[in-house]
Amino acid sequence: MQPKTAPAANTPKEIGKPFNPGVQIARIRYSPDGNTLCAAAFDSSVKRWDASTNEPAELPPITGHNGWVSDIAATHSTFFSVDSWGRLTATDIAAKEPKTLWTVEAAHNGWARAIAVSADGSQLATCGKDGFIRLWNPKDGKKLGELDIKYDLLSIAFSPKGTSVLAGDLFGLVRECDISAGKVLRTYEAKELHHIDRVQDVGGVKCLMLSTDGKILFAAGGEPKTGGFVQATPLLIAFDRESGKRLGQFKGTKDSEGYVTDMAWHPEGFVIGSTSGQPGQGKFFFWKPGAADASFLGGKLPNCHSVALHPSGTKVAVSATNANSSGNGRVKGTGGDYPANSSPIQVWSVPQSPAG
Amino acid sequence: MPRKLLCTPHEHAVSRRQFFGAAGASALGLSGLATPAIAEKLRKERRQVLFIWLDGGMSQLESWDPKPNTPFGGPLRAIPTSVPGIHISETLEHSAKVMKHLAIVRSVSTQDNSHSAGVDRIQRGDPKNRGVVYPFFGSAVSKLVGTNDSGLPPYISVKPMSGGFIYKDAGFLGPKYGALALGDGKPPENLLRPPELNAEADEERNELRKLLDANYSERRRKEYTEANTHAFEMAAQLQKKIELFDPSKLPQKDKDRYGSHDLGRHLLLARRLLEEGVTFVKVTSYGWDSHGDHFNQTLSQHPKFDKPFAAMIEDLNDRGMLDNVLVIACAEFGRTPRINGHIGRDHWPEAWSVCMAGRGIKRGVVAGKTNDKGTEVASDPVDVGGLFHTWYRALGINPDEVEFRNGGQPLPIAHEDMKPVSEVLA
Repeated sequence: MQPKTAPAANTPKEIGKPFNPGVQIARIRYSPDGNTLCAAAFDSSVKRWDASTNEPAELPPITGHNGWVSDIAATHSTFFSVDSWGRLTATDIAAKEPKTLWTVEAAHNGWARAIAVSADGSQLATCGKDGFIRLWNPKDGKKLGELDIKYDLLSIAFSPKGTSVLAGDLFGLVRECDISAGKVLRTYEAKELHHIDRVQDVGGVKCLMLSTDGKILFAAGGEPKTGGFVQATPLLIAFDRESGKRLGQFKGTKDSEGYVTDMAWHPEGFVIGSTSGQPGQGKFFFWKPGAADASFLGGKLPNCHSVALHPSGTKVAVSATNANSSGNGRVKGTGGDYPANSSPIQVWSVPQSPAG
Repeated sequence: MPRKLLCTPHEHAVSRRQFFGAAGASALGLSGLATPAIAEKLRKERRQVLFIWLDGGMSQLESWDPKPNTPFGGPLRAIPTSVPGIHISETLEHSAKVMKHLAIVRSVSTQDNSHSAGVDRIQRGDPKNRGVVYPFFGSAVSKLVGTNDSGLPPYISVKPMSGGFIYKDAGFLGPKYGALALGDGKPPENLLRPPELNAEADEERNELRKLLDANYSERRRKEYTEANTHAFEMAAQLQKKIELFDPSKLPQKDKDRYGSHDLGRHLLLARRLLEEGVTFVKVTSYGWDSHGDHFNQTLSQHPKFDKPFAAMIEDLNDRGMLDNVLVIACAEFGRTPRINGHIGRDHWPEAWSVCMAGRGIKRGVVAGKTNDKGTEVASDPVDVGGLFHTWYRALGINPDEVEFRNGGQPLPIAHEDMKPVSEVLA
């Protein structure tokens, strides 16, 4: 994963300083109007910032979840969030104080891994450790359908028309499903994303998405070498959705670069992604399907876990982890304190045609 | 100079009749005894240990001491168990059902945060430094308890990858108290006499080997030739029990309950070895050192411990063996409360948990506690010396009265400044 030397004008730049939510973050997303940035946090909350300026101001968080908030999705003024205890919540964030609209306490048995909202906003889809894909009515939280895949499902996306749902599992398989018909329509194999190490299944399809026109499926994670410490080389595989053929891939060069942890599709036709770094530094990158290399590769941020593309397409937020957080579990502060790690968020500009 | 390796005689206070009974049982197998009553008595008097070693360090927060909805508690839930008021992690749903047979010590606090030091020091009981290398618990128990009536080696280690004779476990006891390791649960290679070699020729070869060993031992340390001879004897013992290693003899139901992965298969073999009367069976599982992507590892790995562990407890209980077999699930340390940047947990000897069950252990109890965040022990800390005191007493061996002798040097069997965890002793 050697970066090309990009022209200065085409290189993303930091916008403002990183802001620190004071807690580790699983996922960040902008609201559709771009005015709010939300973060799924390890402290059972969804952190929020007014993102209408270049100096985000923190807003009251969404509370009421348990464990970790694992993923978030939005339609206009409503944010949907799922947590590791299986809860699904819809929150009205139009007002300054977030207002809970509805909650499904046990949307999944245990860890609800991911959530997606259909392009027209009429459906929600969630998937979980329990192996279920479930569809929900965004207005009232009523369950619209479900399909039992029986395997730990890590990632989910709607097709552009909302007629099918794609879910990626621990074992490197993506299934496109018609939930109302109770059918798996087709599968896409990305088995390199999974590895059995002793008695551990490692990796999986950590994130997936479709291009806006729905023609390209991106399934990503890492090519794991070990369990335990989890050395993995980032790997993003592009599939032609219709034929299932592989269109190409973006692969890191070192097994210390970790997983692709999150992706966003830029309307100009390239992927913005983040990698975890394990035990090395995380990256965030721009990659155009078919290209051999990333057109931009930023390595300043340790252990990146999410990217959120602003609806304008002009900036992207990247959540990382505080400096010196690699293997710092035992380290105590000078006063003997023992603070948790946190996930600083840095906003970067997205230059025009950065993927050349 | 040959060293005497003795323990206090009363530990072997077995009557001559009992001794010959045991010897007879060993020679014939329990089923070969004329009186089932004696066989049953011998079985009931067995003292055995199942030592499950989760190499790398299992997270206490995702197992025996969950702290849900706290800053370091992680994403997972705690679930109720068969003992009202005791909750453990949702990753151990089957263990939760057998909690009524288990004892958890949540206040373990040890000294080493590196694998290289921790693995040995924990398993040797971390005694005071007296310039000798103490035996691993398995070697110590095989010395102090003996071979029971199994006719099998007293200390068998079932582990992934390669096997062999691991003499280093024995420390100052001498190599013959080392572990016979069954790599991937398989018997040693070339265990059985090749078909082209008849029994007489095999016997002649063994006689020649013994003669060469005797000559060799005149010029070398005696314990090494003893160990060599011991290894051959063990092989001969295993030859008589070769059916133990034939999975086709096992009911499919048992295979399903224990699982087809390494840990499940190895625990099922361990159960069979314990049923045969082996004194100490150690089962090792590698790969628990989860510095990265810890919670997904936990969700994949813990169930592979949980299900066969609970099946083992059920089976030992159903067979009446839980009164004889001390079961211990342990590692070299726990894992950090703080979640690192790779979403991993690092090494944390400061505050972790050990689970035990069986002989001499109270059922359905928790001893000790950690603070609300799980960062420190909030009751009397228990170092590994205290655990060794507990385990020896559970086996009916009083560390205040029994000692090793290394030549003329008396050596305590457990750290003399420490005491057992009385809350878990029956």
